[in-house]
Amino acid sequence: MKCESAQETIVLAVYGELPDDKAPEFEQHLAGCERCRQEFEAVKALSVAMSLVPSGDPPANLVARSRLRLEEALDAIPRGSWLARNWRQFGQGIGRLRGAPAAVSAVVVASLTLGGVSGYEVSQHSHASPVAQTRYSTVPPEDNAPDNVANVTSIVQEPNSENVEVVYNRLQPVTVSGSLGDPKIRQLLLIGARNRVNSEVKDDSVGLLAHECRAGHECSDGPVRDALLVALRYDKSAAVRLKALEGLQPYVSDDLRVRDTVLESLLKDPDSRVRTQAIGLLEPVGADSSVREVLHTVAARDDNPEIRLASRQVLDQIPQVQ
Amino acid sequence: MSADSLRIYPSPGAPFPVTDPTKLKSSQRMAIDPSVRATEADLIREAQAGSRTAFDALVRQYDQAVLRLALHLTGSEQDAEDIHQEAFLKAYRYLGNFRFECSFYTWIYRIVTNLCLDLLRRRKSRREDQAVMLDSSGEEIDLLTNVTDQRASANPDRELNRKILAERIREALDKLTPRERMVFELKHYQGLKLRTIGEILNTTEETAKNTLFRATRKLRAILAELR
Repeated sequence: MKCESAQETIVLAVYGELPDDKAPEFEQHLAGCERCRQEFEAVKALSVAMSLVPSGDPPANLVARSRLRLEEALDAIPRGSWLARNWRQFGQGIGRLRGAPAAVSAVVVASLTLGGVSGYEVSQHSHASPVAQTRYSTVPPEDNAPDNVANVTSIVQEPNSENVEVVYNRLQPVTVSGSLGDPKIRQLLLIGARNRVNSEVKDDSVGLLAHECRAGHECSDGPVRDALLVALRYDKSAAVRLKALEGLQPYVSDDLRVRDTVLESLLKDPDSRVRTQAIGLLEPVGADSSVREVLHTVAARDDNPEIRLASRQVLDQIPQVQ
Repeated sequence: MSADSLRIYPSPGAPFPVTDPTKLKSSQRMAIDPSVRATEADLIREAQAGSRTAFDALVRQYDQAVLRLALHLTGSEQDAEDIHQEAFLKAYRYLGNFRFECSFYTWIYRIVTNLCLDLLRRRKSRREDQAVMLDSSGEEIDLLTNVTDQRASANPDRELNRKILAERIREALDKLTPRERMVFELKHYQGLKLRTIGEILNTTEETAKNTLFRATRKLRAILAELR
């Protein structure tokens, strides 16, 4: 073993990663090489020094806090949301229908359209809003209904006959009316905001949630703000991203996550209206060095001259740091 | 001179057994006792089928380790809490995608390390000073409270020196790239094998090894300057 390769071998040895078959050669080398022995001691010393920053168990109250917070968040995710439930059963149903591709695609189309329709009905009603009470109604099931099928879970053919027994799950669209302040409506809007199938539902949901946040109605934490952050980061429609920005405006000062996401938008959003609006949101927090840094970058490098100008103007207005 | 005498063993709260995971087949890597492993696979399947109780049980197995890692990397209780939250929510949302192609441990750690890396990268670009470790109320945490050394408390100068050194070490760690820091953290403080580290970071053992070499070299250079 040469000294050059010994350096790396020493690190491996100190960290218990030296392959067993290399150990004898290594120890022999160390026995005969003063320099490498010193090197070995030096790496050992580093390892001991680095251990001065202890990595013990996290404090009990941190663990408790985190667990509680997680539980609350998980509780807030509506269980068995129809899409989640149906996708999973879907996966199982597909396995069984593997030999019948036409049936599979029919079921796919059916559940997607149904999901879109029922989701849309909810949002229609929550628009029509100013009803103080929340009403629920269910669509009466039709017995001969090929339309309300969520998925098919079993097909059994009677032997020696043309008869087939099919077991399927039915979708129950439900209509709810209520005011925007009603937590049930809010929860539905949060689900609506994640609707990847029906963009009108998604856009309306985000818009309504943003409106609530902007008006300062109970957006103090958690799921609604998260939904807006997700929409701002990932939504394909610039109009939706703009609405999300509007909703997040009251939180830029206090919530660093919101601020960081708005900074990201200013740097990366493809739409100039979104970037322009982001600048407006960041004006009051110019004291933050990260905000100034991003504004400098944008003032130098944004493709859009008006945005470059707007960034410079905001920078000029920020009182100089001592 | 035994190299073994220097190994940093994972602290007692670590979820994983200290046996060398590379000596077991990957399918058995997680626990020595096959019945324990079977139980976890069942839990996962139950959770995938929608059981919240099963998911909660999975969380309990890993959440301390996740917090320890996040806390140590970020130095902030608030950040650690946020990462804990995001990691397990992600796990909940994407549990359906887990197809047992790796151990659940690796899968969870991947999520956490990615979140930590994102944070470290954001901090690097902020160039904020993370000189001290803060708890949730903003109070400075004494880094040495976990180190029980009665001699130190009897000798305030020495304690001060250790505090300063601990500070320097944090600063040195901050000078590493996020990836170097991550590999060093997983190796030195969490006691994982390079092979596991490679799996978690979605790279090879060889790359993890080289990153470790770079990290130790840099740390030695930085700390040497301070004497």
